[in-house]
Amino acid sequence: MISHRDNNTQRIAALDERAEALKLKRGMGIADARAMHPSIDVVEADPEADRRLLEGLADWCDRYTPLVAIDAEDGLFLDVTGCTHLFGGERAMQNEILTRFFQQGFDVRAGLASTPGAAWAAARFHGDRIVAGGEEEALLSPLPLSALRIAPETRTGLESVGLRTAGAVMAAPRAPLARRFGASLLLRLDQALGRLDEAVSPRLPVAPLSVERHLAEPVMLTDDIERLVSRLAIALKTDLERRGEGARTLALLLFRVDGAVSRIAVGTSRPMREPRLIQRLFHERLTALEQSIDAGFGFDLVRLSVLSVAAFDLTQGDLTGEADDDDADIALFADRVRARLGEAAVLKPVVVESHLPERAVKTVPFAEAPQRRAPAAGRAAPPMTVYPPERPVRLFRSPEPIEVPATEIPEGPPMNFRWRRALYRVARAEGPERIAAEWWRQLPGEEEAPTRDYYRIEDSEGRRYWLYRQGLYSSAPQAAPPRWYMHGVFA
Amino acid sequence: MAMSAVARDTVFALRRQIAKIEGTLPERLQAPEPSVPINASGSDMTLVRRGLAVASADAFLRIGIERLDTALGGGLPRAALSEIHGLETRDAGTVAGFALSLVSLILKERQGLPILWVGTAEIFHEAGLPYARGLHALFGIEPEQLLFSEAPKLLDALWIAEEAARMTAFAAVILEIRGSPQRLDLTATRRLHARAQNAGRPVLLLRQAGAADPTAAPVRLIVSAAPAASRETVAGPLAGSIGRPAFKVDIGKSRTALPGQFTLEWNPNEHAFAERTENSVAVVPASQRGADPASASGAVLAFPALASSASGDQPSRQQHPAHRSPRRAG
Repeated sequence: MISHRDNNTQRIAALDERAEALKLKRGMGIADARAMHPSIDVVEADPEADRRLLEGLADWCDRYTPLVAIDAEDGLFLDVTGCTHLFGGERAMQNEILTRFFQQGFDVRAGLASTPGAAWAAARFHGDRIVAGGEEEALLSPLPLSALRIAPETRTGLESVGLRTAGAVMAAPRAPLARRFGASLLLRLDQALGRLDEAVSPRLPVAPLSVERHLAEPVMLTDDIERLVSRLAIALKTDLERRGEGARTLALLLFRVDGAVSRIAVGTSRPMREPRLIQRLFHERLTALEQSIDAGFGFDLVRLSVLSVAAFDLTQGDLTGEADDDDADIALFADRVRARLGEAAVLKPVVVESHLPERAVKTVPFAEAPQRRAPAAGRAAPPMTVYPPERPVRLFRSPEPIEVPATEIPEGPPMNFRWRRALYRVARAEGPERIAAEWWRQLPGEEEAPTRDYYRIEDSEGRRYWLYRQGLYSSAPQAAPPRWYMHGVFA
Repeated sequence: MAMSAVARDTVFALRRQIAKIEGTLPERLQAPEPSVPINASGSDMTLVRRGLAVASADAFLRIGIERLDTALGGGLPRAALSEIHGLETRDAGTVAGFALSLVSLILKERQGLPILWVGTAEIFHEAGLPYARGLHALFGIEPEQLLFSEAPKLLDALWIAEEAARMTAFAAVILEIRGSPQRLDLTATRRLHARAQNAGRPVLLLRQAGAADPTAAPVRLIVSAAPAASRETVAGPLAGSIGRPAFKVDIGKSRTALPGQFTLEWNPNEHAFAERTENSVAVVPASQRGADPASASGAVLAFPALASSASGDQPSRQQHPAHRSPRRAG
């Protein structure tokens, strides 16, 4: 028996058959129930876990249709339009779903109808029923008002005027109902009866393309899965070719026998349709995930879906059959590294127009970086009138604070400094190069960031560093002395 | 006799294997003269000659300094793993600068090809990421040519480097590792070296603060910082200014086994090295091969100097570093 806290009272939220047999009811106080049967076992409700379980079940139901939606706390909508013939008709499909849920240990009721409203009512008030098109009214008429999916206040209101069944509401004149109880009641009614369309929003976007294979004998080995991936990818290739597209995101869904579903996604930086390459990407991904995928008793359904597509540009190979496309090689290499080590494993620097050194180069993941452009033929390089300021070979992720005990003149370079607990004596210094904060990026009301004076420093052993002083020395008595930072190293 | 022939066969087989690992081309000799009584399989024998005579000239990247190229036996091998060591992590800028100047020399021939820089998260955190703007100004490497790969663990970094080393789409692969991890052993470096050989592309292994462990790389250079010369102006050197990058390069290991220390200066305008000679140490050829070592290190005095030690004519320490206590030797 499961309890939950409602209005400062522990009440029964759910209970099993044995508790029901003891004449306990949902909504009853725990104190009352304990008084009746001191031996009952009470567990605190955990809505989060319930939700996770429901989502796991929804994942599992993906094997019947890609359109699965979660309905409130305890229901799933499956839009099986066009899917039933794959499982041998409506009755066979519903039986299979019920059987398999029963085998997994769930007590499930199902209803199948041509409208979501009618299916909802059929599932909750009949258990196992298939409603043919046009029979919705016959189904709903004898059912109580709660079969209409209406708010409790509306239901109490209707009951107080004597309308106790759905059929009674259907027979009542519409205008007064709408006036008294609002449009939602009639909306629900019309939706249930199929007079209005109701959209069930699936929890996952529907893949444009997917291929799957049901297996009589579950597979467990990674090698077998990879072999299946390449088979599926071959099937996928013809579809992609017909559409003139290539895959940008692919997902591999592994349905385990006991209901758990693993979803493995890989991204590609350019559209891809070659089965061999797809298989290699999944090979890396599966190798990386080897520890975290639990094959258990094996997977009995493997599905490969294309989640996003892009136009595929055909390129002509040369007569030797070797397309000399280095960029494609690098893209594939980057994809494989990404598949194995995550999105940020391959980075590309992008130059940004900025004075601040840390902003002037942005490192972005390879997939998001702009493609290498061909050198513009007509455009000559801008004339180099001024030498660009010297920039270090390596830049620290964030400037590291250093201690500067003394400078020769107040706003001059340091004489020595302490960095990472080692003391360095400055032999030569060049500078300063003053870099001010970019006021045009500053939010209104924000305090202006202090300017930085950068110095090139060579220490007594010949190493060259890039230091800066943030702020200026001030003669004001309370002013804090400026701070020094190490920002990069030169060659 | 039969025993010795079998033993000789084994030796040759091993030598062939070594030659294959080291990347030298085994030279096949003519069939032995009939006067030499060895068995038929002797025609399959190989002879490995190390050094200049074996590999063709374009297998090496000429660094541009005659003495250094000679000491390395022709230059830096093009299709191989080469180690570049920095003694301390604070030398990371210098080591990176030297590696990038080598890459810049490589890029002179393979223009536009990208380079991949693989590092562990640790080294990028400790020594900073290579800064695209600085690289462009100094080495002429465009930001679009650069690819970084940051691996969380050493094993991943090795995997990325191995995968990249077998591709011909990169002009060079740089693998940067800090310290002397156990995983970076002979096997791991041999895998990298073999892939680099097959692809015909160089792999530079930068090791910051690492010990000189045995690796499969044929060349190891130890790089440290050297004070830069002053900037050249029309009116002569500008006092107190910091000029072009300078490196002190020691040969830690090479085919010819010639030691040597060089002070190189990188010219960012011409993308070429120049040697600074004022404070370099003479190259001393190893005693077994090459020219007579005596001629390089000056006159070798046996012990007459000791006999006349009263006159103050002591041998210098450089000539006889082993004889630190002449009294005991006498």
